[in-house]
Amino acid sequence: MLRIEIDATKCMGSGNCSFWASGTFDLGDDGVAFVKDPAGDPEDKVILAGQGCPTQAIAIWRDDERIV
Amino acid sequence: MTQVTRAHADWDPMAQFVADPNDVRDPHAELARRRRELPVAIRPAGARIDGFEVYRYDDCASVLRDNETFSSESIRVSMADFMGKYPLVGMDEPVHRRLRSLVAQAFRQKTLAHFEDDLVVPVVDEMIDGFAARGQAELVREMTYRYPVQVIAVILGLPKDDYEQFHRWASAIISVAGRPMEGMQAAAELRAYLERVLEDRRANPHDDLITELATVELDGERLDDEEIFSFLQLLLPAGAETTYRATGNLLFGLLSNPAQLDALRADRSLLVAAVEEAIRWEPPLLITSRVAVRDAEVAGTAIPAGAQVIPNIGSANRDETRWDHAEEFDLFRESKPVISFGVGPHMCLGMHLARMEMRAAVNRLLDRCPNLRFDADAVERDDVHIHGETFRSPTMLPVLFDAA
Ligand code: HEM
Ligand code: SF4
Repeated sequence: MLRIEIDATKCMGSGNCSFWASGTFDLGDDGVAFVKDPAGDPEDKVILAGQGCPTQAIAIWRDDERIV
Repeated sequence: MTQVTRAHADWDPMAQFVADPNDVRDPHAELARRRRELPVAIRPAGARIDGFEVYRYDDCASVLRDNETFSSESIRVSMADFMGKYPLVGMDEPVHRRLRSLVAQAFRQKTLAHFEDDLVVPVVDEMIDGFAARGQAELVREMTYRYPVQVIAVILGLPKDDYEQFHRWASAIISVAGRPMEGMQAAAELRAYLERVLEDRRANPHDDLITELATVELDGERLDDEEIFSFLQLLLPAGAETTYRATGNLLFGLLSNPAQLDALRADRSLLVAAVEEAIRWEPPLLITSRVAVRDAEVAGTAIPAGAQVIPNIGSANRDETRWDHAEEFDLFRESKPVISFGVGPHMCLGMHLARMEMRAAVNRLLDRCPNLRFDADAVERDDVHIHGETFRSPTMLPVLFDAA
């Protein structure tokens, strides 16, 4: 199971994460992304979405290992 | 002066498609060689922009992400003659962040889902109305070149009577590199026109993007008039030219791979992947540029402060360490983020709109033009191909289909 954190101060509201993993990420009315379901997509999609964040606002851990 | 006026009257914006003096057909073989052999090169002398060009995906991404080392000022300077004072794409922090969050706010308040059915599909349908009964069309001139400009006119809330004029300005601004006089004159006329529209919207608010930009507020901050014009002016080169070229490349990829087109026709859920693959395979914009504000290093190459750095998006998108058979158009490949919309703080503001426009255009074409295919004779006779070095798109898209 992945643990996902979004740094709201870094998020620019690009919507890139919700494009790549729409079951997992969503944009709030304030234009900042949030995790709506950490298991909303296959893990590889969630990881791609995390890596694709334009401002590196997304951090992902598997168990205790930081993978994004 | 008379000369300029006459040139303007003779000028056919469509000529660019057939007679491009820089008819670069295939930069990709050379780009692949550079990716392998020299990941950073001094751009050949004589090229329009000199500087250090970067070819590999990860290196391009690190340059674009590191906006403290690599400034976008060079873009603002290159646009200064025909764009506003504050083009978002050419601004650095902290100004960029403030402008971006304000315009993003205005963009967000309208949801894209409502855009698609209410604004984009009707525009696309109107273009298709023009040729559906004929069983034959040239899609660059009759559709792809025109619809993104019209979508912007609709989003801005311009009156229908002004569309023709707006198209003429857009064509001249889009071709500014080849025809600087016409481009700059059009930019000045457009600016004067937008000033009148903005004044009117301040007095009579509408449900449109200009009104939104005029009223948007975030943490007590608002956009001033100059900032609004700069943003509106940027929309034509940033939002219309890129999208029309990208739609052309998508159609070219599909029409030249009939098995993939058939699969897509039968299963439209493949459209999302088709769009991503098209912008990976042939992005409409191949390069962007930055200036190093301090000494830096990219892939082992020293970059002195003040030098231009040019991430080659077209090359990065075919990085063979990231994609198998990267040179081929294959919508069935495993999708992963491409760099066509940039990355980092300047990542394209319009990427979701652009994707939606492309999906809508292809969807409606497939719905309304059964058996859509390349007109093989015309493709051969007119030597149809994708061309361009900085911007790429097809010379033409002659197609046949079953007439409505
Ligand atoms: C397929 C179509 C498109 C492509 C390939 C594309 C590509 C890009 C790229 C590569 C950048 C980043 C440039 C850089 O970092 O130097 C960018 C920025 C931008 N694009 Fe797009 N674009 C497209 C469509 C659109 C549309 C439809 C709009 C209109 C809303 C738009 C508006 C913008 C704006 C305003 C920026 C500047 C963002 C900033 O600096 O923060 N683009 N685009
Ligand atoms: S991809 Fe990054 S910047 Fe974009 S919305 Fe998601 S968290 Fe925010």
